Amino acid sequence: MLEILKNPQFDFLSKARYFIGASILIILGGLAYMLSTHTYMGRNPKGYGVEFSGGTQVIAKFSTPPEVDHVRAAVNAVDSNAVIQIFGPPAEGRVLIRLAATSASETVLDADVQAVRQALDARYPENRVVEVSSEVVGPVVGADLRKKAVMLTLFGLIFQLIYIAIRFKGAIWGAAATIAVFHDVLVTLAILAFCHYEMTLNIIAALLTLVGYSVNDTIVIFDRARENLRLKRKESLRQILNDSLNQTLTRTLISNGVTFLSVLGLFLFGGEVLRGFGFTMVVGILVGTYSTIYIASPIVIWWEGHKDGAPRPASNTVKAAL
Amino acid sequence: MPSGMPNPFVLWLILSVALGAAAWFGIRKELRWRAILYGSFLIACGVAIWPPYAQGDQQGKIHLGLDLRGGIHLVLQVVTDDALNVTVDDAVATTREQAATKSITFADAHRIDSTSFAVDGVEPARVKDMRLLLKDFFREWDVRDAGEGKFVVAMPDVMVKDLRNKTVDEAVRTLENRVNQLGVSEPIIARTGSQGDQILVQLPGVKDVEQAKRIIQKTAQLVLKLVEGEPATSREALLDRTGGKVPDNMEVVQGSGPTAGQPVFYLVRREAIISGRDLKNTRVSVNENNEPAVSFSLTPIGADRFRRETARNVGRRLAIVLDGTVTNAPTIREQISGEGQISGGFTTQEADELSKQLRAGALPATLRPLQELSVGASLGRDSIRSGVMASAAAMAFITVFMLVYYRFSGVNAVVALTANLLILLGAMAYSGATLTLPGIAGVILTVGVGVDTNVLVFERIREELRAGKTVKAAVKNGFERVWITILDTHATALIAAAFLFQFGTGPIKGFAVTLVMGLVANVFASYFVSKFLFEWVLGSGTSTAPAQFSI
Repeated sequence: MLEILKNPQFDFLSKARYFIGASILIILGGLAYMLSTHTYMGRNPKGYGVEFSGGTQVIAKFSTPPEVDHVRAAVNAVDSNAVIQIFGPPAEGRVLIRLAATSASETVLDADVQAVRQALDARYPENRVVEVSSEVVGPVVGADLRKKAVMLTLFGLIFQLIYIAIRFKGAIWGAAATIAVFHDVLVTLAILAFCHYEMTLNIIAALLTLVGYSVNDTIVIFDRARENLRLKRKESLRQILNDSLNQTLTRTLISNGVTFLSVLGLFLFGGEVLRGFGFTMVVGILVGTYSTIYIASPIVIWWEGHKDGAPRPASNTVKAAL
Repeated sequence: MPSGMPNPFVLWLILSVALGAAAWFGIRKELRWRAILYGSFLIACGVAIWPPYAQGDQQGKIHLGLDLRGGIHLVLQVVTDDALNVTVDDAVATTREQAATKSITFADAHRIDSTSFAVDGVEPARVKDMRLLLKDFFREWDVRDAGEGKFVVAMPDVMVKDLRNKTVDEAVRTLENRVNQLGVSEPIIARTGSQGDQILVQLPGVKDVEQAKRIIQKTAQLVLKLVEGEPATSREALLDRTGGKVPDNMEVVQGSGPTAGQPVFYLVRREAIISGRDLKNTRVSVNENNEPAVSFSLTPIGADRFRRETARNVGRRLAIVLDGTVTNAPTIREQISGEGQISGGFTTQEADELSKQLRAGALPATLRPLQELSVGASLGRDSIRSGVMASAAAMAFITVFMLVYYRFSGVNAVVALTANLLILLGAMAYSGATLTLPGIAGVILTVGVGVDTNVLVFERIREELRAGKTVKAAVKNGFERVWITILDTHATALIAAAFLFQFGTGPIKGFAVTLVMGLVANVFASYFVSKFLFEWVLGSGTSTAPAQFSI
């Protein structure tokens, strides 16, 4: 039998306070960074993809791979603040051009797309644009979608909390899982902001999925703890949770490792559109695994301990809570 | 269904019967029915998928989303106020006509906003008659007597809501008609938006994006109206003849003149002889100067009216007004029956588009574009390639890992994963759900969840074996103990997926769809199918020692 770990006996929870402290620091630092740079947050936030911010995005395919500087020179005539970058493998000859919402009118939305296309054809005639893909979003639609995304993510979290609270017959288990998930979302957001990823619908989808994954991990451990509480009534909750973490450790490592490598494949080979999605999942799975062990379980112990006013909660009380 | 390929149901039946026969003789009694049930279900999924992608003229069973196929996605807002304005304008016209027939005089009747109009300065002696008239003709409206011969007539909210609703429905129908003429396969035209006044149009695989957008967005409101006198080169010149004021039953419409850039103005009757609704059919033709034109034929009722009115007005001009502009205004030379022609310096393509638009009917209101997405076909193809690459890399890695780490039980896991994918794709093919690029990511994540289920079970079985249980007991306990965990993890993941659904259509919905189907398929494949495989392999004996069991 090939085994990664033979009967692991790590004491995960003794160091919990340091990890919680580190997490709080990262989250506060991330929030400070996002608020000070207006990334995703605050008034007139930056860093949103075209579907959220409104505006025009053009992906032009040239017959031969173009020079970004030539493209920039051509597009300058339309919008001097345009963002221009190579899209996908350079050999495919695609360039992404992003403009702020400028000339969209009541009846014509794609004026900018046409203008960019004409500018490219005129200033860059030796290398024809063979295909144009574009996305144009009116400003109202973008703002609406942004609100909707935040609401849906929050409601998604709340409903998962309710489910766990009902299944574990105790709000603290649901709350602990949810705090861990909030932790994951905030840390992931901070890393996304720090790496200058644009907030797109795909990334929102990845965040919601990662919420599901993180909750999964927590549930696996909590389920095991619940089973152990039934079997080993003499032991303290702390001991039981630590045992449960150890018993499920191999599963945590294998499952999350496999999923991690799958999404790493997505990040590396999934193409430009899925890169942000892949990155979010890669970060999220790492953060989610960490938070299950070092955030969710300590919260339960801390709460149950304080409830009784005793460092070692009587197992009867815990059983009653389940 | 191409020749040479049997009916899918027959194919499924034949394969299932064959499987049933094999199971009957090859599998022991207590597992037999499960083998047949699971097997025939998987065969049904396999049959549903085949052929997965387009081969020749046959369409693939897996519907590809816009991001993978190329095409356009539009979100249009129906400016329902347009339709309300028209309704109120009609009501004002009706009031004028009816007051005239009953010889009630009043100073003015005009529209206040998109839902109400006012009648001012009704002669004191006839205020009562006017009230009766308004109440009689506008039974569903609120008629308010503002005193001093003034009335305010407003549509109640219910009526406004109903009218807005009908307008959007009519716009959807018109767009469906128009899109049918574009010859797009699997178009989506649906109401959307929180107010329900937006229309989503998805046209996968459209080649000429610009043309498609023009055909969709043009209002194409055609009316034929009688012209009073001759056209003039300016509005003022035209109104000089009528004393500087537009008569009540008339209106001024602009058209392009013989020289470009110099408009011509026509004074026309408000009431149309023919409108878009009277058209039976349209086609592209040429006029007497051999220029492209659109010929139309009329419905019997329209033709009757056209014959009567043209006979009565020989020698006068008839303005053909398209979306508020006169395209041409020929003189009526003789009685015309069921046919007519519109020409006005079109190119052949413009004539073709107009013909299609008129045939599909006019839009009841302006459409304001809110969002536009167009994906080039080659970008879609490249996206599929990278998506498939990433999936294949993930699958290959997982297969190797499971086989190395769990050895023989790894085979079980790989079979379960394959069954999982088969069910997922079968369900997508069967329900007609579309596979998008994020959907491919969803497939990869499904594989991840599947592995997790297997690992949960396998690790638990290992634990039980370590505790000294027999293999059979270990497998039995392993599956029983993790069942609740699997249920919990899948339920929370389904809650997350349900919220993703709320993002409406598009790629993210594709992601949610694959995730939901994948989660459900996974419970079946990685739990029930995997359990069956273990039981089958372990046989009925009780003496199997842990050493012989490879996990």
